[in-house]
Amino acid sequence: MDEFAHSTQDFSAPAMVEGIAQVVKIEGKTAWLVPEQGSSCGSCASASACGSKGVGTTASRLENRRFRINNDANLAVGERVVFGIRDNVLLKASIAAYAIPLASLLLAGSLAQWKFGSDLITMGAMIAGLVIGLGVSRLEARRLYTRGDLAPLFLRRARPGETCSS
Amino acid sequence: MKEYILLMFSAALVNNVILGRFLGLCPTMGVTTRLDAAVGMGMATTFVMTVAAIAGWTANTFLLTPFDLGYLRTITFILIIASTVQFTELVVKKVSPSLFQLLGIYLPLITTNCAVLGIALLLVDAKMSILTSVLFAIGSAMGFSLVLVMFAGLRERLAVMDVPRLFAGPPIAFIVVSLLALAFMGFSGMGAS
Repeated sequence: MDEFAHSTQDFSAPAMVEGIAQVVKIEGKTAWLVPEQGSSCGSCASASACGSKGVGTTASRLENRRFRINNDANLAVGERVVFGIRDNVLLKASIAAYAIPLASLLLAGSLAQWKFGSDLITMGAMIAGLVIGLGVSRLEARRLYTRGDLAPLFLRRARPGETCSS
Repeated sequence: MKEYILLMFSAALVNNVILGRFLGLCPTMGVTTRLDAAVGMGMATTFVMTVAAIAGWTANTFLLTPFDLGYLRTITFILIIASTVQFTELVVKKVSPSLFQLLGIYLPLITTNCAVLGIALLLVDAKMSILTSVLFAIGSAMGFSLVLVMFAGLRERLAVMDVPRLFAGPPIAFIVVSLLALAFMGFSGMGAS
């Protein structure tokens, strides 16, 4: 109980979601990083039997998620670093990617059902609504990217043996 | 309008996909160690479940039922769900590579989420219209996301608690989720009144 009473964690500070990545390439003042395998996928007790392996190897998936940061800290290839994204970014990104197309789909489907009352027309309207929603989603994602909301931030070099869960 | 709201309420809370039907327990235990992962997974599942419901309803209405191919329903739906996940992954990547970097890790896990298949099969059995199918799928997915987020919040608190070694990790998580299921049983029967 005493541990909590004497905790010095500052809960008013902006929370960050942290991850660990390895530097794979340096281009001038830009460092390219590949995130290490997270605790949510592939490293659980049933990883050997998990069906998601069939969709693509973990290595290829992580390679697809390669990202870049400014190399102000003079990072070198092979170094492991801790990067972070702001806590609310994931929610904003989820809304942009999924909630906007879904809302558009539902709105178009509801209007078509109310106006025409035919399942076939409703289905067509839903598909059209989904496509329009994806267009709006693309604009919103571009706005977030331009504002720099989606960019990961370099926090520090990772300690030897440090993992996402440690 | 009232019946649509009741349908979504019933799908989300009364017949919650995790705590009422016991589907999707793998992501419930796997991605709820962090709240941000639970939010990402919940939103991705909501999208895939809805699109898969539309695709499943279409395949069943215009292909399986007219040609009397009901025995192929399960395998068709598995194919539809896998295709939907791949489609979603491609679309998110095309719409914004930055969003894909943030959210892409959750998508392949949905392929093996039995809740998506379970809801698609339930919709066909209930012989719903396309709009009610979509509302039911969204309601179920919202219930799924709600439980993931609630459970992730509880597990984040559990991580800093002084739990006896015998119960530390998954055992205490299972006890907590069973208590959540008991709490959700309080909604039983509300949809019928």
